Amino acid sequence: MPLIETVELCQKYDGRDILRNINLKVERGEVLALIGPTGAGKTTLLRLLDLLEMPSSGKIYFEGRDATQSKKVGFQMRKRMAFVIQKPIVFNASIYDNIACGLRWRGAEKSSLRQKVSTILEMIDLSAHQHRNARTLSGGEAQRVAIARAIVIEPEVLLLDEPTANLDPLSAAKIEELITSIIHQYGTTIVMATHDMSQGQRLANRIGVLINGEILQTGDPREVFTLPMSREVAEFVSTDNIIDGIIVSGEGGMVSVDIGGSKIIEAISGYPVGEEVSVCVRPENITLTLSKTTSSARNSFLGQITGVVSMGPLSRIEMDCGFRLVALVTRRSAEELALEKGKQVYATFKATAVHILRRN
Amino acid sequence: MSEIWQGLVKAIELIVTLDPEVMGIAGRSLAISVTATLFAGVICLPLGSLIHFNRFIGKRTLINLIQTFYSIPTVVVGLFVFLLFSRAGPLGGLNLLFTPTVMIIGQAMLITPVLLGLTISALSGVDKAIPETARSLGASDFQAVVVVLREARFAVIAAILLAFGRAISEVGLALMVGGNIRGFTRVFTTAISLETSKGDIELAIALGIILILIALIINIVLNRLQQR
Amino acid sequence: MKNKIVSYLALLVLIGLLLGAAGCRASLRMATTTSLYDTGLWGYLEPMFEKKYNVALDILSLGSGAAFEYGQRGDVDVLTIHDKPNEEKFVADGYGIQRVPFAYNYFLIVGPATDPAGIKGLSPEDAFKKLMTTGKGTFVSRGDNSGTQSKEKAIWQAAGFDYEVVRKAGAWYIESGQGMGQTLQMASQKLAYTLTDMGTYLSYKSKSKLELVPVVDKGDILLNVYSVIAVNPQKVTTAKNLDMANNLISFLTSPEIQKLIGNYGVKEYGLQLFVPCAGAEPK
Repeated sequence: MPLIETVELCQKYDGRDILRNINLKVERGEVLALIGPTGAGKTTLLRLLDLLEMPSSGKIYFEGRDATQSKKVGFQMRKRMAFVIQKPIVFNASIYDNIACGLRWRGAEKSSLRQKVSTILEMIDLSAHQHRNARTLSGGEAQRVAIARAIVIEPEVLLLDEPTANLDPLSAAKIEELITSIIHQYGTTIVMATHDMSQGQRLANRIGVLINGEILQTGDPREVFTLPMSREVAEFVSTDNIIDGIIVSGEGGMVSVDIGGSKIIEAISGYPVGEEVSVCVRPENITLTLSKTTSSARNSFLGQITGVVSMGPLSRIEMDCGFRLVALVTRRSAEELALEKGKQVYATFKATAVHILRRN
Repeated sequence: MSEIWQGLVKAIELIVTLDPEVMGIAGRSLAISVTATLFAGVICLPLGSLIHFNRFIGKRTLINLIQTFYSIPTVVVGLFVFLLFSRAGPLGGLNLLFTPTVMIIGQAMLITPVLLGLTISALSGVDKAIPETARSLGASDFQAVVVVLREARFAVIAAILLAFGRAISEVGLALMVGGNIRGFTRVFTTAISLETSKGDIELAIALGIILILIALIINIVLNRLQQR
Repeated sequence: MKNKIVSYLALLVLIGLLLGAAGCRASLRMATTTSLYDTGLWGYLEPMFEKKYNVALDILSLGSGAAFEYGQRGDVDVLTIHDKPNEEKFVADGYGIQRVPFAYNYFLIVGPATDPAGIKGLSPEDAFKKLMTTGKGTFVSRGDNSGTQSKEKAIWQAAGFDYEVVRKAGAWYIESGQGMGQTLQMASQKLAYTLTDMGTYLSYKSKSKLELVPVVDKGDILLNVYSVIAVNPQKVTTAKNLDMANNLISFLTSPEIQKLIGNYGVKEYGLQLFVPCAGAEPK
């Protein structure tokens, strides 16, 4: 039995649909990342899961019991979960008192309380400052305290709402480290919302894509990343190259997709001839060469570079091959090939790197 | 202006010799106003929390009404309380007119709008995420309210200080419902009023100085507590 | 949670009980006139009475108008005032049992030494006539329904004027609306005339710089009689202390206290502030 299950969950605010027919299962011990753009409804969904609000319709089951039947039941179940919001918020008290408060509200015994709090303080590396007023902390430190505060009560479920969204990269990395140690040490079930696709990939063992109030796809990170089931998901996971076409021939699992301008893309798919599809190619799967290669890759197009954007150790190359194509190469390669605007290059990719989506 | 200097001298004299009548007035003034503030506090803090945390029709109007009563004249409240507790009035049977008790009740009534309104303001200044965070950590509704009050403690203590100040410094109500009876309901403000009308300016100033001194000490003590 | 509510309510009840306990003290409530109170006579007599009868004497110093009002409401048990016409009405209407005079002195008209209206030495009625007709000099009235004000009205009437007309007679007639002390101060500041009782004038003159001197001090109409009246529990059903009120009356008219009243102030001011008259109407 899943730890949490939602059935046809809907939430409305002021007549607007925020969440539509959410059917989600959270298994005990897993780390589920809810990814989606800002405004998709991730926070609302987390709040419902934490039983902070009642849904407009639909049900939530916690360990098989209906959690939405009454406020009292909801409150009892909420006590087994903990929620960390996006904004680092601490009470105007010492760090120690902040972390201890959840335990105090549950009537924890004094000496065990002290021990648990000390352990957590070590974990977040703030033992030395435990008596400092929490309001004097930086955003990153405050968020660590907030997470510690939630973990120390040993919840069965930890809900994190964009825990690193307001933080600088260094603090964000520390938080991710903390989450990872929590996963290892406590085995807590974690549901975390993030708009950062790669964070979801790094930390979660399952991803749910929430776009416009609906869950469009769930699956393990690799799957969602490389095999998006719809155009919106594909766009969100930065597939970048989504080209529309029609299957014109197919044999033995291989299809040819006519994308217009007498260009054909070869891919692996079971869809029938005549099917209207979208072709998805991840930019990092495209190889660029200055002359036509003789590799086994089935797809090779000549194009002109329309833009080069450097992104740290990588370079993003935009090209016009009769259709728009974006490739991601290492900066080194880009320098070695002297890639610049206006240059002619060959963009090559394997049939296996192509993901076919039905268009409808 | 030499009266002020003379008043200062007399004040020191009264303090140093521990003049019994002045000590009595001081003790009484403090006891009455502190009790009134406590009484009002015990009612206004929970009531303010209730009003702030709940949504209901007419909430905005109610808050406006409370704020309107901030500056209600003390004599008006005094008259009302007098008519209420006069032996010819509805609560006359309690025999409370011209006693310190009715002064406490009157002062409590007087400062309730201020204490209530400022408590609500203080609570409004606390980020909504605070009670939500508390609730998400397993706090009951009551515990969450306590958290917010604690977050707002500076503003709440300031409100209490203000209310106390208004209670101990008003004269209209104390005079009307207390009767300024020597040794029983005479407090600083009514004593100052009496001595002034009798022409004993020096004593009036002395009493005024002592009153200010006491208020100062209370403020300093409460400020120290606040900082902790 | 339930515990919290219970202890909270208990706290309120406890405070309520503490507050309520105050209503059960043995006391006699007396309303006295401000001019009598300010002379300090009561400060002198109060402890004696309290000791003798083992009761707390709660003294409220009020204007006569307020004193009568409180008497009618039963908020005080006994009155000691100096407003004969209104006192007689109070008794006639049944609110008071009997008017018992216990001391007297005289009012006087005081004013600036320069005497701009030229009323020095005249009779009170003639002095008022002159003020009204010449309009010279300023007169400060109590304007507060007090015993003194009552006397002032009586003099205007005796001089042949309707009081309402006097009030609007001109800028020279001012109503202070305050006690005797403050009225004297105002008169002093404005170098004006005013009607005052001997006690307040003497005590004020000694304490602060009053630019006023006695101008008219002879005349039967200036007689100022202080009486004590017990509130009648038959008519004012909330008055409960007739026995103690009667004790006060006996006290004030007892020979021992009468002697003390007569001697009061002689040392400080060199003259009698009060002439005792033990229950009988003087002159």
